Amino acid sequence: MMADIPTRLPLRFLGRPGFTLPRLPWYVWAAFLWISLVLIVAIFAPLIAPHPYTGMKLTNRFLPPFTNWTHPLGTDELGRDVLSRLIVSVRISLLIAFGATVISAVLGTTLGFLAAHFRGWVEQVVLTLADFQAAMPFLILALSVLAFFGNSLPLLIGLMGLYGWERYARVARGLAISANTQGYATAVTQLGAEPQRIYLRHILPNIASTLIVSMTLVFPEVILVESGLSFLGLGVQPPMTSLGNMVGYGRDYITRAPWIMLSPAIVIVLTTLAVSMLGDWLRDRLDPTLG
Amino acid sequence: MLRYFAIRLFRAVITIAMVVTFAFVVLRMSGDPAILIMGPEVPPEALEAFRKSWGLDQPIWVQYINYFGAILRGDLGMSMRDNRPALDMVLERIPATLALTIPALALKLAIGVPAGVWAALHQGTGFDRAVMVTAVFGFAIPSFILALVLVLIFAVTLGWLPSGGQGGVEHMILPVITMGIGGAAALARFTRSAMLEVLGRPYIRTASAKGLPWASVVRGHALPNAAIPTVTLIGFLVGSLIAGAVVVESVFSWPGVGRMLVVAVGSRDLAVVQVILLLVAATMVTSNLIVDFLYGVLDPRLRQGARAA
Repeated sequence: MMADIPTRLPLRFLGRPGFTLPRLPWYVWAAFLWISLVLIVAIFAPLIAPHPYTGMKLTNRFLPPFTNWTHPLGTDELGRDVLSRLIVSVRISLLIAFGATVISAVLGTTLGFLAAHFRGWVEQVVLTLADFQAAMPFLILALSVLAFFGNSLPLLIGLMGLYGWERYARVARGLAISANTQGYATAVTQLGAEPQRIYLRHILPNIASTLIVSMTLVFPEVILVESGLSFLGLGVQPPMTSLGNMVGYGRDYITRAPWIMLSPAIVIVLTTLAVSMLGDWLRDRLDPTLG
Repeated sequence: MLRYFAIRLFRAVITIAMVVTFAFVVLRMSGDPAILIMGPEVPPEALEAFRKSWGLDQPIWVQYINYFGAILRGDLGMSMRDNRPALDMVLERIPATLALTIPALALKLAIGVPAGVWAALHQGTGFDRAVMVTAVFGFAIPSFILALVLVLIFAVTLGWLPSGGQGGVEHMILPVITMGIGGAAALARFTRSAMLEVLGRPYIRTASAKGLPWASVVRGHALPNAAIPTVTLIGFLVGSLIAGAVVVESVFSWPGVGRMLVVAVGSRDLAVVQVILLLVAATMVTSNLIVDFLYGVLDPRLRQGARAA
């Protein structure tokens, strides 16, 4: 099974003469296709959505899915088009998940590098904070912050950006400490490079693959936490919509119109499934040491 | 050994202190408590009097120490909605939460650990693959979606079970299954990898080579070693007995601590949120401590004073 997997990533095959599709396990292809589809939908959401996502039409309430072409996924309790709301929700949920993953990766990597560079008490503080973050259930911390500060989209993204930073910090610290003892880091230090240059131009590229794998492992969890918060009515607030938010409001009509909550639920499950399968596969390929 | 426990105990105290600090900082950052409680239209003299009576006119570090002292005395404030001590309100809800989370934990352990061990011992078989696929799905399906799908099938379509509320045992089945399945999948996956790692170690080969029956190798050498990482995860599960039910209690309208937290956050009842935050931290820290003590029992290397990994 392992022998079937080519030694290069698919991107390297593009644009070459005699281009053939790389032989990957079918589920990796499926995950890759689904993620591409979701990304295209998220980027072009306003162009793709057939109706305005807040457009109500009370005469069209509770249209079941797959019955007419105007509303292929049916309509909700206010006669809004489920497909259009789904498309906009994908955009908002992915925006939050991407924003949060990037913030968390930058924050965690920076703290990890600081810990590796200064050692001593800086390192102890970073490690204690990391232990604290890992020990407390994130949902509880997030709910407390939301209780104290109220809610807004930037706050939500910033808050979600705290999710998982401790994992990048631990990985970055460990790898930077071992990189500092390796030849290339010593060489550029001898050449008189500033610490900033060493960490960003030399060590970072060398540990990037591990960090990227960590991102693919954190990303689906961010989607799940955000959709959980929004589902509880404490994340993204109406009139804005996100996948969890759609499931949360659709729950009230589960008996009469289950499709309102089923379509966003399916998108959440397929997306987290696809990203984590791709992440698992990448981890096996790039860095089997990550747990 | 004693030193090892002393360090752990110290870290536990530090973690609790950090949670208290977190609550204090977040509370003070969220705005002037005087305005928050009295409202913005109150005359400045009244605000001043309020600040004086609550010690809010003192330097921030004095306030911080007072805040710490109050928490140590068990004075955790009044619920702004019900005007009762927040601590009492939360403590009343704990039995309802444990009534769901303890059976769910039992379900996770009963399914997850044996499935993981069996999958590792029969690596590559159909059973192993089934466990792995279930584990991947168990991770990707969030509990609120699993809960709603179960409600759709067993309550709405088949009408076998109630869709929510508190009552007899039939009300507990769906919430317990919802929590149990996801946790069991994660536990199985973790146990499997812990077990696989141990099975690849040289001492397993040595034990087999010296002619020990395979069952004895597994029982005497593989299981105790695989238990060490697994106990950590189980400790985390025990620690989340209170916190783990937030979403599920909300879906099934179960009157436990989790639902109370969601309602308190929605209505910004800060005292209640703070009590639950501290309670969750205390449970987590206690269970982590128990895990550390168990390590000492499980891992003879620690008893001889070597440093834990």
